[in-house]
Amino acid sequence: MKKIALAGAVVGLGLLVACQPAAQKAEAQKPKKKLSKYEKFKIAFYQNQDKWQKYCSNEAQLVPQGISIEEFKKAMLATIKFPPGGKVMGDWKRGEKLFGDPKKGGRSRRGNCYACHCGDPQIIACGNIGPSLRGYGKRGIDPKQTYMRIYNSWAFNPCSAMPRLGYWGVLKPEEIADIVAFLHSPESPINR
Amino acid sequence: MGKRALLALGLFAGGAVVGTLAVAKEKLPEHLRELLELGMHPGHVFVDEGRDYYHNLKGPNGKTCATCHGQDGAKLEGAYAKMPRYYKDIDKVADIDLRILSCMTKYMGFDPKDKKFRKEYDKKLRVPLATYVASLSNGMKINVEIKHPKEKEMYELGKKIWFTRAGAREFSCAMCHTVLAGKRIRLQGLPNPVKAKSYNHWPAYRFGSDRMWTMEDRVTSCFKAYFLFTKRWDEKKDWVKKPPLYSKEVIAVELYMKHASNGGIIEVPGLLR
Ligand code: HEC
Ligand code: HEC
Repeated sequence: MKKIALAGAVVGLGLLVACQPAAQKAEAQKPKKKLSKYEKFKIAFYQNQDKWQKYCSNEAQLVPQGISIEEFKKAMLATIKFPPGGKVMGDWKRGEKLFGDPKKGGRSRRGNCYACHCGDPQIIACGNIGPSLRGYGKRGIDPKQTYMRIYNSWAFNPCSAMPRLGYWGVLKPEEIADIVAFLHSPESPINR
Repeated sequence: MGKRALLALGLFAGGAVVGTLAVAKEKLPEHLRELLELGMHPGHVFVDEGRDYYHNLKGPNGKTCATCHGQDGAKLEGAYAKMPRYYKDIDKVADIDLRILSCMTKYMGFDPKDKKFRKEYDKKLRVPLATYVASLSNGMKINVEIKHPKEKEMYELGKKIWFTRAGAREFSCAMCHTVLAGKRIRLQGLPNPVKAKSYNHWPAYRFGSDRMWTMEDRVTSCFKAYFLFTKRWDEKKDWVKKPPLYSKEVIAVELYMKHASNGGIIEVPGLLR
């Protein structure tokens, strides 16, 4: 929809400047045929599966025999990018919204951590797929470790159920730092 | 109207149901069980609607479903127990949703390329018709066979898809329904439809959303959790929410799951929270 409108605007602008060349240009840049829903699904499901997901796609859903777990972790570690200045703790209030907005009952489109983890004791709609993160900041864990774990959980636990949120770009480095602050900050409801 | 009224009644009778897990019939919340005991299953509205289309909906060539399959679905008893299966006339493995669509386009004169018809079928006719036809196999045992080469191929594909990790959430059917079965994703318990033979209660009426779902709806909807995308997010967000209806992939996992449910007694429409 947007694309069509844009193409229209480009053609219109071109016509104002010079009729002929614009028409030719529009011809040359004819937008590619729109992908069908099924074609998009196939790209997303087959083509965009990465080789690490392929390794984990077995009956046990774990690293299969013949693949070195150490190599796997190393490769995953190498994907981790840090925010500018290497600051792994950001703003915990922003982190709270990404983790799960209390105003929305703990939901969030992207982090959605409460789907699997409990945290703020006020959010009771939390899953038990991952360990509870209540009091996480008091466990003496290095915030940098936490950052890396959220960026790419498979650097620690290959094939885990925990998604590699930074790796796929679901969360930006700065956003992960905000979530780390939410987990570590003494003021955060996670630790109060 | 009727459905809404029942819903209200149900909520009234049972009170709040937050967090109640109803993955199988035995585990239905009290108020749903009461409704059933009173003989008031909200899914029956869909069976009736489907029966009506079956007898009265005429294709462009004047035929109805009953023209070929008999009054009251006489010749379709037990058909659903064997689906998905290979059908020679369309040279495909079809589930109930696709089988009925194929009948309408092949034998009743509907144009498969007519967008208006497709929309009407997908959104309005498909679920009631599928529910009605499925109900004609009530009390029978699920008996899916993997014999024809295309059935074997689809079964293998379905099994493969079951274990395939994909999307920005690294999910697979197996992750949620085999490895994590019994755990909670938020408050929602994760069932194991392969082990539990739960195919026997599909199509099912879902109380919470006041909707009737076929297994196609269930499977495609589970795909929403995957965060499937066509491009990496940092380049450009481009979401693929779910595979389209009747895709080979959807029918393949249905075949895989229903084969695992062989022997289960069909009891539809199911009733879920
Ligand atoms: C689909 C499930 C899932 C989601 C979504 C999820 N996690 Fe996890 N998480 C897990 C599992 C399973 C583990 C344990 C295994 C592992 O470490 O990979 C875990 C482990 C962790 C740990 C380490 C805990 C410890 O005790 O060492 C942290 C920290 C964490 N998750 C934070 C997060 C944050 C923050 C988010 C959201 C931005 C999130 N998780 C989203 C499943 C999930
Ligand atoms: C993120 C987790 C998740 C993933 C991944 C997932 N599902 Fe589900 N599935 C659910 C939840 C939650 C329910 C609902 C349980 C309920 O309503 O009680 C469900 C229900 C079902 C049911 C109904 C079970 C019953 O007892 O009636 C089937 C069948 C099913 N899923 C199949 C699949 C298939 C096939 C896939 C893969 C293509 C899949 N699921 C992927 C979470 C998931």
